[in-house]
Amino acid sequence: MPFSSQPPIPIKEKISVDYLVEKLRERVNISLLACAAEKCGSDRFITEAELHRPGLALAGYVKLFTYQRIQVIGNTETQFLENLSEEEQKKAFRNLIQFEIPVIFLTDGNVLPFYLIEMAEEAQIPIYSTPYETTQFMYLLRDFLDDQFALQTMVHGAMVDVYGIGILIVGKSGIGKSEVALDLVERGHRLVADDVIMLTKKSSVLMASATTMSKHFMEIRGLGIIDVMSMFGIRSVRYQKRLEVIMELTLWDDTLEVNRTGLEHDHVKLLNVDIPLIQLPITPGKNITVIAEVIAMNHLLRHYGYDAAKAFQDRIKSTIAEKTKGMDPSMKRAIEYFEGDLE
Amino acid sequence: MIKKKITILNSSGLHARPSAALVKLAGKFKSDFYIHMYGYRVNGKSILGVMTLAAEQGAELDIELDGPDEKEALEAIETLVANKFGMEDE
Repeated sequence: MPFSSQPPIPIKEKISVDYLVEKLRERVNISLLACAAEKCGSDRFITEAELHRPGLALAGYVKLFTYQRIQVIGNTETQFLENLSEEEQKKAFRNLIQFEIPVIFLTDGNVLPFYLIEMAEEAQIPIYSTPYETTQFMYLLRDFLDDQFALQTMVHGAMVDVYGIGILIVGKSGIGKSEVALDLVERGHRLVADDVIMLTKKSSVLMASATTMSKHFMEIRGLGIIDVMSMFGIRSVRYQKRLEVIMELTLWDDTLEVNRTGLEHDHVKLLNVDIPLIQLPITPGKNITVIAEVIAMNHLLRHYGYDAAKAFQDRIKSTIAEKTKGMDPSMKRAIEYFEGDLE
Repeated sequence: MIKKKITILNSSGLHARPSAALVKLAGKFKSDFYIHMYGYRVNGKSILGVMTLAAEQGAELDIELDGPDEKEALEAIETLVANKFGMEDE
């Protein structure tokens, strides 16, 4: 398959502390108060998504201190420091700031004594404080960092939200992916991206979005480029959608084995996530748009616990079982008695 | 499969019309055509894909061709790029 060999885009190597703070304020709505060395934020970089609480480092054990991570000072660390004399506090804090720490966050509205702040200023280590509770802040921060350092890849196809199911339509150039997507949009479904789709791995889920460049544009062969949002309105597009099913359009080929029962499900691995794959040979008279809607509804039904293929198979099994028990083997009508419906 | 590095010579980069010329040419061949840039890989037969790169003059693209007519396709693409996509440099 042309899309499964898609190489991941190299992961972002680092983000600056300034960028992190700005985005946390803007996107995650976290209030952060600069306490020390605010100006050094542009030269301090975060290289991994892990966080660290430097309790042991403050106590003097720095052997395995992961100083390159973001350091979070919560209630435990603050109370530990408060129980020390000024000299001991300085000594403990020096254990920490002798390393190239990118940034320190004080959570739960904790503050550090001015002499420690001065030390950080001197060492050019930015400190920010937040009223958020430590675990809550760490959760939000981890989520943001996971996204920043997430695996990404770019695939070629059309991504549409059909009845809330994210369907990626793939296939060779010119097979009609965009046309199917357009038809779906016309029927009230929502376009995520056409042609250039960014996939971002978020825990075990792949999120699809457009690129800033190609956002909501679409190419229709013979017509050129159209803007789906201005043509069909805001309700016809969306920013992101979880990728749930891949629908691959292929040209009809007699040697091709197509799924006839729906009992077995094909999968494809993208960024190590298994995504259900439906291969759809295109034949004259086939309405791909309606099939896309059926795929979405079937997916929903299966999620709600109803699998048509399985239900049918169960029916066959029970009929066969009845026959072997010696029951009437003849084919029965779907109803036993026609009432007088003479219209 | 063959790979080759090419450089964009047009002063205004790979904007809409050069992209269209490239996509049209690539579409004439059976081979799959991919362009690698900044670690991204886009389908060279998709105009939106090619334009998303917004390749500027001097940008280096790694092109990848795979298929029965890959050699002819590479030759044709190289000629097109070297001729600045048959466009007067504006």
